[in-house]
Amino acid sequence: MKRIQYILFAICILSIWSCKPEKFAPIGEPQNVVKSIQGTWGLTKVTQIDQDANTKGFPYKQLDITAVYPYTDLVLAFQGDAEGNPSTFTINSGNSPQIAELTSGSWTVDDAKAPSIISLKNGEVTNSLSIGSYVSLKSGKLIIKKDKKLNGKVILSYQYEFTKK
Amino acid sequence: MKKILLLIICSFGAMWASGQGKVTFSPATFTSEDEVTITLDVTGTPLAGTNDVYIWAFSNDGVGGGKDATTNGQWGSSSEDAKMTKTATNIFTFKFTATTLFGQSPAELINFGFLGKAKDGSKQTPDYKPFKFDPLVFTASQFRLFPAKLDYTDMATVYFHQNLATDINLQRMANIKVSLSFYDAAGNVVGSKQGIAIVKESTILFSSSFIPGRVITLPAGTKLSKFTYQFTGTVKDANGLDIPANGPVTEVIYTVFN
Repeated sequence: MKRIQYILFAICILSIWSCKPEKFAPIGEPQNVVKSIQGTWGLTKVTQIDQDANTKGFPYKQLDITAVYPYTDLVLAFQGDAEGNPSTFTINSGNSPQIAELTSGSWTVDDAKAPSIISLKNGEVTNSLSIGSYVSLKSGKLIIKKDKKLNGKVILSYQYEFTKK
Repeated sequence: MKKILLLIICSFGAMWASGQGKVTFSPATFTSEDEVTITLDVTGTPLAGTNDVYIWAFSNDGVGGGKDATTNGQWGSSSEDAKMTKTATNIFTFKFTATTLFGQSPAELINFGFLGKAKDGSKQTPDYKPFKFDPLVFTASQFRLFPAKLDYTDMATVYFHQNLATDINLQRMANIKVSLSFYDAAGNVVGSKQGIAIVKESTILFSSSFIPGRVITLPAGTKLSKFTYQFTGTVKDANGLDIPANGPVTEVIYTVFN
C-alpha cells in the first residue's frame, strides 16, 4: 500500500515539475484589410442567393450565374493614397451586367481596422457593398456582397468573387 | 346596335371599377410572417378626399377559422392602431405582419381581407378580399422562378420541371423554348421575345436565365412592373408530325425593394 502511495506521490511531483509556460510564436503584424483591398480585381464568380428561401428553409437557395452573361469581363480597381487610405475607384464592366450604378468615384470603408462595408460615391449617388471573408484576401480573393432589402429584411443577395490581377 | 350595347356595358364596367378603389401590396407576394405594406387608393370610393382612413381587417374569409384584426377596435370607433398613413391625396398605407395583426399562427392563416373606413364607421370602401398568403412550406410545381422575389434589374431564372407537368402535352413536349413579355407600371407591354433557347439541365428540367434589359430594349426611365413567361414546344400528332404545344402563361410581379 505504501509503495502505491510513493508511486502516486512521484507521479504528482513529476506532473507538476513537467508544467512550464508554453512559448507561442508572435502573432505578427495585424492584417491591413483596407490596403489588401486596394488593387485591380477581375470578377471570377457571381452567385445569386435567395435569402428569403434561406430564412424559410426552402430548397433552391442559391444559383451560380457567372456563365449566363460575360460577368468575367468586369474589372474593379480600388486606389489608395500615399498613406494607404481609400481614394478613388473605377468599375469597367465591359460586356458584363453592371454590379453597381457607379462606374467611378471615391470609396470609403465603415471601419479602417475592420471594415465590413465599402461605400462607393459619386456626387449624390452612393452604393454600398459588404466585404466577405478577410481570410480570402490573403490568397488574392476579394468577396463582395450586395444585398437587396424589403422593409429592412434582406431578401436577395449577390456574392461577387474577385481575383487580384 | 351591338356595338352601342357593348360600349354602354364597358362604360358601366369602367365606372364600377373606378368606384372600387385600388389596392397594391409591397412585396407583391408574401407569407403570413412577412412584413407587408398595403397601399390603398380611395379615389372613387365614399372615402375620397378624406384625411383619416382606418383599416378594418379580417382573416380567412370564406374558409373558416377567421378572426378580426387585433387593431380593429369597435365598428363605431376604430382603434388608433388601425389608422392608415396618408402619403398623398386619396392614398393611404398600412404596414403589418399577419401573424401579429390577427394573433394567429402561420398554420392557421390562409387568406385575409380588409376595407377602409371612417373612424365612426359612417363611410367605408368595398371589401378587398381574399388575398392569399404564400405557403411557408415549399411546394414543388411544374414552373418555378429563382429567386422568388426580384426586381426588374435582377437576373431571373424560370424553370420547367417536366416530371411535375399535369397536362399530357406538357409531359410529352419537346423542342422546348420560352417566350417572355415585359410590362410597365401601367400594364402596357414594353417588349416581348418569343422562342428563346433554353438550357436543358437534365432530361426533365429546363431553364432560362435573363435580365430584362438584355432581352428587350428598355426605353430610358422605364420601370417594369411585371413579366410573363410561357414554355412552348412541339408534340407529335397521330401521324408522327410535330405540332405546336404551349404551356400556360405565368405572371411574375416585380418586388420594389426599399
